[in-house]
Amino acid sequence: MKKYFETAKVLFKAQLVYRFDTITSIIFTISKVFLAYVLWGAIFGKQSVVSGFTFNSMLSYYIISSFINQLDQSSSTGWQISNEIRNGGFSKYIIKPMNIFGYFTAQTAGVSAFLLFFNLTAAVIWIFIFRVDFAITSNGWYIQSASVLILLGLLFMMQLNYFIGILAFKFLDTGIFMMIKDNIVQFIIGSLIPLALLPSGIIKTMTFFPFYYVSYLPTMLLLGRNGNEIFSGIVILLFWNAAFGLLISITYKRLKSRYDGVGI
Amino acid sequence: MRITRQLKIIYMLLKMKLSRNMAFRFSFFGVFFVDGSLFLIQLLMFSTIYSQVGSIGGWDRSQMLFFIGTFSLINALNMFLYFFGVISIPGKIKSGELDLYITKPVNSLFHLSFESMDIGSLPLVFASIGILVYAASGMHKQITILTIIGYAFLVFMMLVLYYDMEVILRTIPFFVIQASSIERLEGEVITLCMKIPGTLFKGAFKFLFYLVLPYGIMATVPTQFFAGTLTLVGFVYSILIAIAFTAFTFAFWKLGLKCYKSASS
Repeated sequence: MKKYFETAKVLFKAQLVYRFDTITSIIFTISKVFLAYVLWGAIFGKQSVVSGFTFNSMLSYYIISSFINQLDQSSSTGWQISNEIRNGGFSKYIIKPMNIFGYFTAQTAGVSAFLLFFNLTAAVIWIFIFRVDFAITSNGWYIQSASVLILLGLLFMMQLNYFIGILAFKFLDTGIFMMIKDNIVQFIIGSLIPLALLPSGIIKTMTFFPFYYVSYLPTMLLLGRNGNEIFSGIVILLFWNAAFGLLISITYKRLKSRYDGVGI
Repeated sequence: MRITRQLKIIYMLLKMKLSRNMAFRFSFFGVFFVDGSLFLIQLLMFSTIYSQVGSIGGWDRSQMLFFIGTFSLINALNMFLYFFGVISIPGKIKSGELDLYITKPVNSLFHLSFESMDIGSLPLVFASIGILVYAASGMHKQITILTIIGYAFLVFMMLVLYYDMEVILRTIPFFVIQASSIERLEGEVITLCMKIPGTLFKGAFKFLFYLVLPYGIMATVPTQFFAGTLTLVGFVYSILIAIAFTAFTFAFWKLGLKCYKSASS
């Protein structure tokens, strides 16, 4: 376990080199909140409540959801894996005395841990800039449950991106898969609009899939809502994590023989 | 250079690019799938919002759909014609590869812009036209040939403006070493402006997205023209902006070339 912790620590420190990059990516989180501010500002000009959200709770939703989504850095890890396989650099991970998925997870965790402080600062700044009467819950149980769901959700996203990354053994270039995935995921995790706006039949179907619990449910819990979904959320995310763990293990075993380490 | 010669060069570059693309059939229609999914998600997003509200800033569902279709069309034409050429400029400046272009007897910016046309983006153009036709049918508006010509003209002007903005931001690497943050800023602003009609911006943001970074008018103005809500001032303003930015783009590019240090030689 120590070696994974050390990996995370190294990546945490490495982020200090890219200070400017970190700061700009944090600043750009404003775009989602600004989008919500302009779009929902126009909508709430005519009605005070939409699907149970007031203008304030809607902005609070986007601020919390942006914060959670920014913690997920696994997409860039997926790109990295795919590139390393294509250019032959993946060999260095094979000879490491570590589990490859564990290594990449530790690496991503290091980056996310580094960003945690900056994201929190950014969220506070946006609250002041947009003068939001921030509607976060003070219920300890909800906050703890949301934290557990966020961690399980990050692990699931890591597994999903790792899975797409290792598909490069077969397809070489998985960039198209990654981009399409990014487009779809941002909608189904509730990053573009709260999923509560969707028809109830669709929401019901979405609760069987993990994406509902990655960002949407933790955000709603932090807003003090959907408390009745905590238990099912944790169980479903655990199930999907286990299922993807198995899928990754089988896929890796089957596809690794195709790797020829081109370029070394 | 005469227009016929320019068209001949474009045709030649297109043929060369097509033969190169055919070698990678899997990613041939990559842009179609990637951008298609992006605009599909946007349609879903607005359909969901309109299931809860009647209008957004005075725009009904059909108008918004037409706005999305227009942005999708401009984006698809951009991808087809010059996007992949223009985005390669910073890399070529950094590596000194630009030498190859400025020594050829063809306008360097023209060559760089049109050498990487992407045929795989063409289906997205047709899909966008499909969205436009569907949206127009819901507008309950009499469409004349003049409306279509005016709309097509404005889309063309906005395509030129889109090109100008892309080139301006990628000319900056002539003067600074690293400009990746500027490209990220461009990405964020485009994402924002393709989701919100420019009419929703107020105050300083209107100034920003209508004049400084005029992405706010790109899909908004043609949509307003088609819907019959564009004023004469708005029409003239959008054309003047496109002309002014085009003049600035060429002047800025020339200035950039003067500062080019040809790193590799």
